[in-house]
Amino acid sequence: MKKKRFVALIKTAMRVSMTQIFIGILFTCSSFAKNVRGQEILNKEFSITVKQGKIKQVLTEIQNLTKVNFIYSSTIIRAERKISVNAAHKRLGQFLEETLGPLNIYYKVEDNHILLYEKEDQVMIPAGNDLNDPYLQSAVKGKVTSEKGEPLPGVSVNVKGTRIGTTTDNNGNYSINAPEASAVLVFSYIGFISKEIPVNGQTILNAQLQEEQTSLGEVVVVGYGTQRKKDLTSAVSVVNVGDLIKQPTASVNNLLQGQASGVTVLGSGQPGEEPQVRIRGVNTFGNNNPLYVVDGVPTQSISDLNPNDIESMQVLKDAGSASIYGSRASNGVIVITTKKGKGKVQVAYDAYYGTQRPKGGNVWNILTPQEMANLKHLAEANSGVTDFSDPLYGDGASYVLPDYILPEGAKEGDLSTNPALYNLQPLYTSSDQYNNFYRITKANKEGTDWYHQIFKPAPITSQNVAVSGGSDQGSYLFSANYFNQQGTLIDTYLKRYTIRSNSQYNVSKHIRVGENMAYSITNNPQIGGLSGDNAIGHAFREQPIIPVRDIFGNYAGSYGGNLGDAYNPVAMLERTKNNKTADNRLFGNVFAEADVTSFLTLRTQFGGESYSGASHSFTYPMYENSENTTVNSYAESSYTGYNYTWTNTLSFNKAFNKHRIKALVGSEYFKEHSSTLGGSNYGYFSFDPNYTNLSTGSGPKDTYSSASADALFSLIGRVDYSYDDKYLLGATIRRDGSSKFLQNVYGWFPAVSAGWRLSQEKFLHDVKWITDLKIRGGYGIMGNQLNVSGGNSFTTFGSSIGSSYYAIGGGNTVVSGFYQNQTGNPGARWEKNINSNFGFDATLFGGHIDVSADYYRKNIKDLLYNPEVIGTAGAATVPYVNIAQMKNDGFDISLSGNTKVSPDLKLTATATVTTYHNVIQKISSDASYYEVDSRRFDGSNIIRNAVGHSVSQFFGYKTDGFWNSQAEIDAANAKAQKATGDASAVYQTDIGLGRFKYEDTNGDGRITADDRTFLGNANPTFSYGLNLGATYKRWDISLFFYGVQGNSIWNQVKWWTDYYPSFGGAKSKTALYDSWTPTHMNASAPIQETANSFSTNAVPNSYFVENGSYMRLKNAQVGYTFNSARLLKAGISKLRVYVSGANLFTITKYSGVDPEIGTSSETGSQTAYGVDDGSYPSQRTFLLGLNLTF
Amino acid sequence: MKRSTYILLTVLVFTAQFFYSCKKALEQPPLGSLSEEIVANKNGVNGLLIGAYAALDGTGDNGTSLGGGGDAFQASPSNWVFGSIAGGDASKGSDGSDQPAIDPIANFYADANNVYFNSKWKALYEGVSRTNNVLRLLAKATDISAEDEKSIGAQARFLRAHYYFELKKMWNMIPLIDETTTNFNQPNDKDLWVEITADLKYAYDNLPETQSEIGRVNKWAAGAYLAKAYLYQHKFADAKALYDVVIPNGVTSSGKKYDLNTSFEDNFLPSKEDNPEVVFTIEMAANVDPSGPSNANNGDFLNFPYGSSPFGCCGFFQPSIDLVNHFRTNAATGLPYLTAYNDFAIKNDMGVKGSDAFTPDDGTLDPRLDWTAGRRGVPYLDWGNYPGEPWIRDQTYGGPYGPKKNIYWQATAATDADLTSWAPGSSINYLVIRFADVLLMAAECEAQAGSLAAAEAYVNRVRARAANKAGWVYKYKDDTNPLSGFSDTPAANYKINTYPSGDFDSQGKDYSLTAIYYERKIELAMEGHRFFDLVRWGIAAKELAAYFAYQGSLTSDVKRGAFTTGKNEYYPIPQRQIDLSLSGSTKTLKQNPGYN
Repeated sequence: MKKKRFVALIKTAMRVSMTQIFIGILFTCSSFAKNVRGQEILNKEFSITVKQGKIKQVLTEIQNLTKVNFIYSSTIIRAERKISVNAAHKRLGQFLEETLGPLNIYYKVEDNHILLYEKEDQVMIPAGNDLNDPYLQSAVKGKVTSEKGEPLPGVSVNVKGTRIGTTTDNNGNYSINAPEASAVLVFSYIGFISKEIPVNGQTILNAQLQEEQTSLGEVVVVGYGTQRKKDLTSAVSVVNVGDLIKQPTASVNNLLQGQASGVTVLGSGQPGEEPQVRIRGVNTFGNNNPLYVVDGVPTQSISDLNPNDIESMQVLKDAGSASIYGSRASNGVIVITTKKGKGKVQVAYDAYYGTQRPKGGNVWNILTPQEMANLKHLAEANSGVTDFSDPLYGDGASYVLPDYILPEGAKEGDLSTNPALYNLQPLYTSSDQYNNFYRITKANKEGTDWYHQIFKPAPITSQNVAVSGGSDQGSYLFSANYFNQQGTLIDTYLKRYTIRSNSQYNVSKHIRVGENMAYSITNNPQIGGLSGDNAIGHAFREQPIIPVRDIFGNYAGSYGGNLGDAYNPVAMLERTKNNKTADNRLFGNVFAEADVTSFLTLRTQFGGESYSGASHSFTYPMYENSENTTVNSYAESSYTGYNYTWTNTLSFNKAFNKHRIKALVGSEYFKEHSSTLGGSNYGYFSFDPNYTNLSTGSGPKDTYSSASADALFSLIGRVDYSYDDKYLLGATIRRDGSSKFLQNVYGWFPAVSAGWRLSQEKFLHDVKWITDLKIRGGYGIMGNQLNVSGGNSFTTFGSSIGSSYYAIGGGNTVVSGFYQNQTGNPGARWEKNINSNFGFDATLFGGHIDVSADYYRKNIKDLLYNPEVIGTAGAATVPYVNIAQMKNDGFDISLSGNTKVSPDLKLTATATVTTYHNVIQKISSDASYYEVDSRRFDGSNIIRNAVGHSVSQFFGYKTDGFWNSQAEIDAANAKAQKATGDASAVYQTDIGLGRFKYEDTNGDGRITADDRTFLGNANPTFSYGLNLGATYKRWDISLFFYGVQGNSIWNQVKWWTDYYPSFGGAKSKTALYDSWTPTHMNASAPIQETANSFSTNAVPNSYFVENGSYMRLKNAQVGYTFNSARLLKAGISKLRVYVSGANLFTITKYSGVDPEIGTSSETGSQTAYGVDDGSYPSQRTFLLGLNLTF
Repeated sequence: MKRSTYILLTVLVFTAQFFYSCKKALEQPPLGSLSEEIVANKNGVNGLLIGAYAALDGTGDNGTSLGGGGDAFQASPSNWVFGSIAGGDASKGSDGSDQPAIDPIANFYADANNVYFNSKWKALYEGVSRTNNVLRLLAKATDISAEDEKSIGAQARFLRAHYYFELKKMWNMIPLIDETTTNFNQPNDKDLWVEITADLKYAYDNLPETQSEIGRVNKWAAGAYLAKAYLYQHKFADAKALYDVVIPNGVTSSGKKYDLNTSFEDNFLPSKEDNPEVVFTIEMAANVDPSGPSNANNGDFLNFPYGSSPFGCCGFFQPSIDLVNHFRTNAATGLPYLTAYNDFAIKNDMGVKGSDAFTPDDGTLDPRLDWTAGRRGVPYLDWGNYPGEPWIRDQTYGGPYGPKKNIYWQATAATDADLTSWAPGSSINYLVIRFADVLLMAAECEAQAGSLAAAEAYVNRVRARAANKAGWVYKYKDDTNPLSGFSDTPAANYKINTYPSGDFDSQGKDYSLTAIYYERKIELAMEGHRFFDLVRWGIAAKELAAYFAYQGSLTSDVKRGAFTTGKNEYYPIPQRQIDLSLSGSTKTLKQNPGYN
């Protein structure tokens, strides 16, 4: 509320023509605006020089300087009057008396603001007077509240056309003597829209005021300081934190999806899995994560930041805003400020509890066991088998399900199924035991629904308590959060405990010190996502005939050799139950700020983080699968590290005449060090978690450790200049030195930006619907060195057991040897991201509509990349060299609107649209592409990152239907023979009936590797978010839609399920019912055969590429705020309950479980995404929540 | 406070930081690595030499092939794919969808993009690079005695020659990188036999006769390898001259006079690794790397029986039916059917379920068969009688047999098996050159020189060992308890004889060569030599056509096999390497003939 009022004041001030005003601000006094006792407020000092400025304007400036709010009616005090002030270190009280007194303007300190009124207004009734005074028989009384029902103190209530006026008291009550029954009362309040209500003879007149919606005066935190939104000359997305935290996740990055234009977020449903965050596309072949700056401290991770602690969040997208962060700005910067305390002690409790529901149904379209048998029969028949004989399904014209899968194919009553024969010790410790097991497993003829064996409904809860308060002596905020999200995938979860303490102490009028600290403990065991080899992958690979458990309750599986090679996914997950992880992180800063002179503020801040984590896991021996790991092992790992940033800045803030200058110089030193330590051991006698540790195994034992360190030193400079609030100019420069470079340690990162507020020009004055309009542009350089490792400059030798140890003396003893493990590049220098940005900000229809749009272009030059070098150079790690080049361009648009349909019904909407177009311009001087992600193909990769194309484009053969007849095949072969002059040539390797016909893209008459082409792009054409909100009386409702359009997904799951020979796992209905047969040529899948082939599943082809566009209702929430009057008595100032649903529906053509597909753990490469090999889907979540403040 | 105090404060804070952040603060040496200066001395160079030996296994860390190519098995030093499968010794095995990239190699339609080629190439050039680093820093080190310098240099050159030899037989035209090369983008326009021979010659001239450690190469290994290099160049006389010295005089690195082991299987027993038959071996060690069998035949760890076998994974590398048929001997003579072996095919259990009864072939067989292939009903080392189908992933695809030479014994599994990964490793050494191989190569030289009697003597020396009943496979004392030991009853009807004296002389050179080639096939079966032998003998097209015709009629894996003369003798230069050889607008590396 405070902010809104402030905003409006500034807005009011802005509208005033300032041509005759000369203001010099000499001194900035920062203090606390609330709960200041009267005299203290009046003792505040400030300096100001104004010649013939409007009173309104002067008050605004003073308000800026002293942080004390004035409340007045412009009409009453005739604020358009002009005055001159020349005050140096003048107390506020003095000013009020000396300057305003003579103008008949009097004041009254009310709470933490100052009410101004005209002295002759004798009817002014001090708030709280007895309203039953007989003198006031014609009095009208009532209460003024906000739309949310909160009482508004200090509202000016005037009788229209008279000088009769009053203000509301602390509880929002007023009483006024209306001269006649037809009088009209005018209610005005800073930050709210004025309202006129005719008295019409009423004696009680309650008024509800509507908040003004313009955000122009909003103060935005930018690099090393703040700026008013209206002064911004660069591309900054301001995130609506209120909308942000509505979704049930602990990850701020996940919350960011769709909330800020220019930001692309790709996540998954796995608790604690940090999504891929991209600001304006992909900038490098390595780390593309943005830099986070939390309370002024740069960091690489905000995964443990409690979303409830966020006060504001800004995304710095272009060079104009981000270059101030120099070498680390290239991927964009996300600036987060955490909440500070203010006002009287307040306790806020926010909590929700909910349930997460996995998708129902046959999500992978898997066949039943009988259908699996039928498919096997079909594939064998298609492959020329005539003598059908199967160890499982028997011999005969059709396959019959056995009663038992172990002993293989046994029928009920077989002597071999006598349970007395059963012999299996699940926790065996020797291979002798394993080799003598006798397993008996019944066939699950109905079929095991493996998806729902591993995905179960799971609870989620977040409990947050914050205690805050503040006075002129300081402020504090303490918060504690408990977050517990059980994964819908069994035995995955995120448990996080976070506490935060933010405080500031005002040591003297000119010195402030403080700290922001957060400590978190996280337990978050995860599975590696998007891999056919994790439990999810094994769930669509494990055959349905396999039950979860055998006849004695031990795990059942593919053991026996004729049921594929998949693992029992339930066993995989349950065996990880005792594996634990714990991560701790202390993150924060301490700072001191001193006002050196009236216009110079010195700030020194020391911030950083200290973190550590540990995990241990036990690998149980397996017995149920066809490929078992038969030894048990135990592993522990830990990491620890710290980094700190010491920042010193001197800021300058001065205005003279129409010129306003804000400047800052500073220096910063950053140092980080991290290390890892771990070990493993084998052969445990007992698997009791209380017994297993690194020492108690019988070997081989392994230990490892590693460390890395680097440092940065930087000089920072920034100037913002505005003339007449109309012409804005910003310039930043930063010089960074990095320990990662040897010969070119330092780099310069300059940026300039400019803005022109067209709406301030005369020619737009009459265009009433344009409240504010600004065009702006910027150009600058952002840097990058994230990908470069500390040792990049040096050629080094090392040793590793796998690569350089050798049993030179024979036996099982190895001797350590050396090999060149790194080739050095001492000449590496800073990567440069040259950025131009052009955009506009507009506020229309008095704040009902805000639009912000940008077009940008980023040329990344000297891109640091470690391209694969020719094999003859050996295998030493290739250094990063400034070799590659990339380009991004695109539009970001955000549009928001609000309207009040009726006094009770208010609607708001915010839409963001993000586009980027990424083009690789150069990879290295040796090659024009590199490939990633081969999965189970013949070694061909799915993704080719090639010059002239975007990062992460799919590459392979394009299918063009099937070979439907031998004549067609013969004709194609004849063509190939003619083209090659080789009588034995074939058109296409493994050409055959019902197999794919590949497109001869180069037209040479046959299919070769050169016919491979780009099949799809994992990058969307655009992504969008839409927040819709409505409040009706005490009800509020919000909807958040998110979507992407125009991207492709590589559905690798289909490789496993749609092709019979792709390992002997579970198959899909498509394979059985919609594959090519001579009678079903119009099929989607090719002919089912027993062997893989180049012309079906052995090479990447377009069969796997699907349209990845989707739109999802990410969140819907309905809330109800209880009548505060009654609750107030109970000490509760706010009580809101809500129900909320996440991921309620998704509209997509994608056939997989979830169209949101990010980076796979299989490659770990940030330039390979969009390959779905079994995603951990986002789950539908239903919540019941509570917001309570007292 | 006064304003001046504040100003002073400002100055202090900034000065403090500048002081603190002086240039030193941005100096950060690499952590956990050694600089060249630290390595360029005796201990450092010795360490680099060990590193150069360590490249022999083609394996890096965590199951990767050396050089960061791909999976370890793509660059296995045993050449089980490029030598054995491609040569018709074995089916790929497993099932059709597992490691699909081997299929095109087995059937000779592989193109240059096949990942196996790139991995192998990179692993071998990393070996070259390591030997070059030894030689480069050896020259810089100042604390090494002349004698040590000679030995280290000669070992490095031996190893470099080995890596180039492997490259040469795979690709023929390969670029030369030596210790002086700084631009690694070199053309493949020269024949490198000169360099390979020179390195081996240097090693032969400078290596000591024995070494303190059995894994180090010695003079005689270099002599045998040099002779092999001559043989590959068809310089039979040069090779023969060397064999004439090496065979009678050679000793192993541990000083054992070169000889054949009494028992054939001893070659494949880790406990017998220091034996007289060792010429040049790649030492494997189990359970030394807890993160996987990186020193324990990681490159071959797919090659164990599948299904309900005790090995778990992964059912690759199944001896072909064609190979097994080679072990049929003439019941009367105990000699092989040199050309008509498939007419006397050995009975197998194709299509027979594990639960159905099967009686193994009762005809006469070469006893080496049952050390080479797992056959239904025959003791599979001490793991029990090979059960056939239950241990096979897809019989119709890979046939009925299982690999054996690379399989560890149950009794010694604790030391020989490495179960630290999802598929087993073993400490069975890979034999690059064993004495039987030397004798058979010498036999070729003699036959080429027309001294057929000498050739026959060499062949017979090899056959005589096989005929020694002490080295045969015997039935178990108790089939249900294979660990209880073997009976006196041979596991099959073994009958093998040496060629009758004068047989070679009387039947002539072609017959002799055929017999030598045949002997090589069965003695060294599954050991990675076959394809390269076929190519250097110039009979690849003919032999492989016959193989595809026969095997392709029985298993589905090589149905489409077709060898193209003038092309498939060598593998394609990896496309990725050609693409990386871009210099200006031209690619420095040229593709081998027939590939595009």
